[in-house]
Amino acid sequence: MPVTFTFGEMLSARSVIGTTLAELGETHDNLWVLTPDIGATLVEFRDKYPDRFLDVGLAEQVCVGIAAGLAYDGNIPVVSGMLPFLSMRALEQIRTDVCYPNLPVKIIGTHGGLVGNGGSTHYAVEDLALMSALTNMTVTSIGDPLMVGEILRQSMTMPGPIYIRLAVGKSDKVLYQPGEHDVRIGKGIIARDGTDATIFTHGTTVAQALQAAEDLAADGRSVRVVDMFTLKPIDEALIAQCADETHGRFVVLEDHLAYGGLATRIADVVADRGIRLNAFERLGIPQVYAGFGDDEELRDKHGYGLAATVAATRRVIAHPSWPTSH
Amino acid sequence: MRDDAVWLEGERPSVAELEDRAFELRSKLLHLCGTYEGAVHIGGDLSAADIFTALFHYGLRVDPHDISNPRRDRFLLSKGHAAVCMYIAMSMRGFFSYDGIVETYGKLDSAYGMHPCKVQLPGVEASTGSLGHGLPLAVGMALSARHRGEAHRVVCLLGDGETGEGSVWEAAMAARSNELGNLVAFVDRNRQLMTSHAEERVAFEPYPDKWRAFGWEVVETDGHDMAALVKAIDDLPASDSDRPTVVICETVKGKGVDFMERNLAWHAGSLGAADLERALAALEASRQKETV
Repeated sequence: MPVTFTFGEMLSARSVIGTTLAELGETHDNLWVLTPDIGATLVEFRDKYPDRFLDVGLAEQVCVGIAAGLAYDGNIPVVSGMLPFLSMRALEQIRTDVCYPNLPVKIIGTHGGLVGNGGSTHYAVEDLALMSALTNMTVTSIGDPLMVGEILRQSMTMPGPIYIRLAVGKSDKVLYQPGEHDVRIGKGIIARDGTDATIFTHGTTVAQALQAAEDLAADGRSVRVVDMFTLKPIDEALIAQCADETHGRFVVLEDHLAYGGLATRIADVVADRGIRLNAFERLGIPQVYAGFGDDEELRDKHGYGLAATVAATRRVIAHPSWPTSH
Repeated sequence: MRDDAVWLEGERPSVAELEDRAFELRSKLLHLCGTYEGAVHIGGDLSAADIFTALFHYGLRVDPHDISNPRRDRFLLSKGHAAVCMYIAMSMRGFFSYDGIVETYGKLDSAYGMHPCKVQLPGVEASTGSLGHGLPLAVGMALSARHRGEAHRVVCLLGDGETGEGSVWEAAMAARSNELGNLVAFVDRNRQLMTSHAEERVAFEPYPDKWRAFGWEVVETDGHDMAALVKAIDDLPASDSDRPTVVICETVKGKGVDFMERNLAWHAGSLGAADLERALAALEASRQKETV
């Protein structure tokens, strides 16, 4: 049944995951869902397919190891949990048991970034750097709650592993109408078009970038926002295209360490391909353990909130251009 | 029902025949250790050689000509550094060419590396070597078998040293929680780590009680007594039972070569030509002693 949502309406990404997994469980009798004691929203799957649902309790390492064992035997396991623990406690299992043999295990979870007010034990801020380093791993970070369902559906035919990062997922702004964009793993989305500069972002800060672009439009600035929800493989062509079409002026905004995440991946593409930029700024978490506070307060405190995004975008637009002669 | 006849042509080998094969396996290991230029984990290979023989030549329902048969028993080598012992034991069962192992082991583009790689060598069940990873994989495979109503077993060989890894006990708890009686762990209890004798640094004892406390069936056996290993295999609970079993095999690291036995210097190493002769002579002497 087609459903429409209004931009800005709140929806739980977790509920989308729950519904999507229950739907996929019906069409894929080899789909398993595993969790280390997380997942009230997995109840629908658990109730429909109790013999393909496994809660191992608090044991991330064995959770991922079991998923790999299931995948060796031809199953498609989804591991759902909190990312600070899955990405670090089970990092070696993800790397050696899943990525090394290139098994179709999906790691999906919440608490990517300074979200949830749990403190630094409960913030995954290094996860995208860690996951992007792993050979065979596809790395995504999703902001729009409905997109999570689409990514899960697409991932069913992938031969190898995928990492799917969410913020808290309890209440997320709907960013796109279903069908509004051609959502494909590995391709960025131009969430808002513009010509003066591009803000690249992913996950929970896409909404913030769109707000910054809206604010800047009020004084005549035309800012493009790219939802680079796949960090790996990165959409190199779109980066080059944005350099061409937005005067080589880039801001990268992310709820992750400013070094090691999307900004680093874009900088790598810029350096490797010799893309000529006029200005590049990165906004993200500095090398600190961030402390407590709500999401917006923490972003403001650590220099990548809305005001900082607007200011950085103004700076890259105002930055002098390189001479155009070659 | 398990159908043994599918997996072994004719009669299963006798204990005496298995002992001969274990001797051949050790001889071949020593030859490789004497010809390969790099280090071979010979200590833990020799401690596990009888277990490998009992499994690949007697216990496991596997078919070298049909490595993807869904009904095969799954064997996971959690102590992945004993890979070469597994390769040779499997070659003697017809999986691989022994000459291929000897000629290419550890060399560029070889499928036979220090730790097994499923991608490069599909005849093995999983890529292992990082300690503490095998049993969680085995739990996943055992769950999969249960879900599909398949009667095969999942067998995992661990070293005792690696049971210091917490993930082993996470898996032990998960196996019991899910009543995986189709899962069997063999522990090569050689009582040595790489740099120390087991109890010097780590309090493993009371070792069988640790497994009992996790709800496993515990079988204790002499890991160098072929008749005892065969009996342990014969007596395993049916794969549809509800409790996983661990067979704790008391072994000697370096077993069969006197100057390697219980010698920390021989966790891994290589043999020169003279030492190879000495090692083969020691192995032969050890066999004479045991048959007397």
